[in-house]
Amino acid sequence: MEENEDVPKDFIKLKSEKLSVDEVSELVVSPYCGAVSLFIGTTRNNFEGKKVIHLEYEAYTSMAETEIKTICRDVRQKWPSVKHIAVHHRLGVVPITEASVIIAVSSPHRAESLEAVMYCINTLKASVPIWKKEIYEDEYSWKENKECFWANSEK
Amino acid sequence: GGPERCLLPGQVSVLYFARSAELAGLRCETLSVPREITSLQLWEEIVKVHPRLAVIRDQVVFAVRQEYVLLGDQPLVLQPGDEIAIIPPISGG
Repeated sequence: MEENEDVPKDFIKLKSEKLSVDEVSELVVSPYCGAVSLFIGTTRNNFEGKKVIHLEYEAYTSMAETEIKTICRDVRQKWPSVKHIAVHHRLGVVPITEASVIIAVSSPHRAESLEAVMYCINTLKASVPIWKKEIYEDEYSWKENKECFWANSEK
Repeated sequence: GGPERCLLPGQVSVLYFARSAELAGLRCETLSVPREITSLQLWEEIVKVHPRLAVIRDQVVFAVRQEYVLLGDQPLVLQPGDEIAIIPPISGG
């Protein structure tokens, strides 16, 4: 077996500390890859004319990690050349403009990692048990992803 | 972790998240339920204990042993120690 085979790895982390784009990128960099693609989800300061003070996230942690592992497995089936995948999601309070999620994927050529990153975030929003609460000045709201098939979108 | 400390032998643990935790007023508890029960019957058992949950009936699914289950006629075969979670609409990412 080659010493520097660089076996494909998934890096999944749910944490309350500030996320780092440098850290997540470096996890997936590989000498066999010419591309690293990234998605960063950041918090906006407004929703429907209301000022958002900050976001709060909670998770069914054990199941969320399992669901993200399933997404990684599906990515590797669809894009077999993908090398490493990193998904970091923040929990607890996330201030405005800070990242709530960072996804990074490496592949030898750029098409696969670009497509895989999009698939990861879209599928995360549809299937991973994480919840976001938007805190406004006078009230708050539990958000519902449009991708979530059990959300009641007719309100 | 927290949920595991709730568990007594012969019972299932129920975890509440997001809006369901606010309505129920707690994050986890143990429940004694029949071994064979439909997912809708399970919901009705839980609403008996926490009536305020009734308002979200049309917007929740369960996770049973970490697999999503719709509220309906689907029979569940529950073992002691199984983990059930109330899953309001998700909003990760």
